[in-house]
Amino acid sequence: MSAALLEVDGLTIEYLTATADVRAVEQVSFSVQPGEFVGIVGESGCGKSTMLFGIAQLLSPPGEVTAGRVLFHGTDMVRLSAGELRHMRWRDYSVVMQSAMNALNPMKSIGAQFRDALQAHERISGERIRERSKEVLALVGIDPAHLSSYPHQLSGGMRQRAMIAMALLFTPQLVVMDEPTSALDVVAQRSLMLKIRELQERLGFAVIFVTHDMHVVSRYSDRVLVMYAGQVVEAARTDRIFEHPQHPYSRGLIEAFPTVSGPRRQLTGIPGSPPDLAEQLSGCRFRPRCPVAFDACAEVEPELVDVDGADVRCLLYGGAATVSEVRSDG
Amino acid sequence: MVEPEQLRPAGGPEPLLRAEGLTRHFRVGGMFSKATLHAVDGVDLTINEREIVALVGESGSGKSTIARLLARIHQPTGGEIYYRGRSLRKLRSRRDMLWYRGEVGMVFQDPFSAFNPVHRISHGIMRNLKLHRAELGPAERQSELERVSQSVGLSTRLLTRFPYEMSGGERQRIGFAQALALRPKLILADEPVSMLDVSIRAGVLNLMVDLRDREGVSLLYITHDLASARYVADRIVVMYAGQIVESGPTEAVLADPQHPYTRLLLSAVADPREADPAFAADTGEPPRVINPGEGCRFRRRCPFAIETCHSVTPLPRPIGSAEVACHVAGTPATHVAISAERASSD
Repeated sequence: MSAALLEVDGLTIEYLTATADVRAVEQVSFSVQPGEFVGIVGESGCGKSTMLFGIAQLLSPPGEVTAGRVLFHGTDMVRLSAGELRHMRWRDYSVVMQSAMNALNPMKSIGAQFRDALQAHERISGERIRERSKEVLALVGIDPAHLSSYPHQLSGGMRQRAMIAMALLFTPQLVVMDEPTSALDVVAQRSLMLKIRELQERLGFAVIFVTHDMHVVSRYSDRVLVMYAGQVVEAARTDRIFEHPQHPYSRGLIEAFPTVSGPRRQLTGIPGSPPDLAEQLSGCRFRPRCPVAFDACAEVEPELVDVDGADVRCLLYGGAATVSEVRSDG
Repeated sequence: MVEPEQLRPAGGPEPLLRAEGLTRHFRVGGMFSKATLHAVDGVDLTINEREIVALVGESGSGKSTIARLLARIHQPTGGEIYYRGRSLRKLRSRRDMLWYRGEVGMVFQDPFSAFNPVHRISHGIMRNLKLHRAELGPAERQSELERVSQSVGLSTRLLTRFPYEMSGGERQRIGFAQALALRPKLILADEPVSMLDVSIRAGVLNLMVDLRDREGVSLLYITHDLASARYVADRIVVMYAGQIVESGPTEAVLADPQHPYTRLLLSAVADPREADPAFAADTGEPPRVINPGEGCRFRRRCPFAIETCHSVTPLPRPIGSAEVACHVAGTPATHVAISAERASSD
């Protein structure tokens, strides 16, 4: 694991508000190898976007990393100053936001926004800027003529592609993506995912991809982390998690989808909603919604245990820790 | 008021809603521009009682414009819409409009911008009750408020909250509750689940089926996702670039899609291991329908296009139990080509 590009170690993020401290992400650990595609799945409010912001060091108060480390090539990014981080952004890692409509500046042409990013990092000639901008647009399959277009002149799919092109200006080693496909229709979604995967294989960058759509990660990621209520509840290789989901929550997410072929079956979704993290939680956090919960789930907080190569946080597979132990640290 | 009976065409009962040659063009560009965006072009659509019709297509295909035309947010530039046999053009008075808006409700795509942030959740529902069901007294309104929120699975405790305090799924349920407060016969649901979490999505889909089965409501379900359309809809209507390219009973359309565009949509949701190789290079760019000429609008993306497709606009014709607007579909040669390709991709 020493060669890991990114190592997230015991990351805990809290929103420190006047009324309550909300622990949005709790003790999350995982690593990303160079060139790997890691999917992070969960419902809204499971802490996946917060975690992504924590990794990219984009948290703003009251959100704060209260424990743990984020090692990028061995450097703990949590402790870096704003200046040092600014140096790394775009160049070493970049972030593609969920809504390209809001992430792009509506007053500036695509080309001008590319220029800003390029000039922020190096002294670069106008000619070289144009060249590089055209290169990255070509990479994502947009006609370079669109450099002079404004965001509103592009379709939703093209805007997301432009965002990805921008993220690749310096060919970073890590691209962090927060639901880039959720605003797109299925055809554009598939095309964008194929593009990301193709670029990733060609340029060798690693991807952390956050989504609530199990099906998106099922096809493209190498590994999947399923998050629930701020914790990782299952982490495994993608094929593994889809063929044999262990945690009842992962199973619920996979089965929440209708299919286009095969028998029509009644969908139940996952009744209820994620717990309010501002409240004191005891036992398994998924218990109130879990179809297979038993008595012990109310009292014992499960830990991540290895189940045939998958990390699973569920008492069905053992993995008991006392409540006080987990609660008192941090 | 025209009695619906008089307008009933020979053969078959009058559907709940019927659109004929529905057309909506928008002028785009500057003041002197001659450019016209053909958002909806000559669409025939029927929705029967207790029926869920899925209107499927990608962004820019004109599905939302149809919903807006049916909701009378836009006026059509051509064609007619009949609701229970009455032409919507004849609804002019405020009373008629209130009646129609009470019969036909709408649920919007984005639950995050569909509600006024300064009002509590109950406000929109109460407002609908006051406007459309003026006969109710305050106490009845309150109990009706509770009834509709319960029928969409929303705890009454939440009604005093503000929109920002609610999750997307909860907000979408409020959208349905607002529509239901009218006791509508038809709900136009514009991508009601596309912005929701998967865990909640199933709940909203089931809610739609429930509304049909329990309350006898018809729904026009607008989506780009064929899988969810299959789950709820009795009939599927596929749109491309403002025109209907294929329509028919859900299972028939999905089991044996005839139009190449339906196949493209289907391959986008299918497992990539079974993906349709004919569309591997498709980028999902929405069609441009500014001043379209003659010819099939899908021809530039269509791997099966022939000479005729460039000059003649295909008209819907029956193939099996579906209606398909395609020159190539159903001809023996392509059918063989399509099945051969499918066999090789399996």
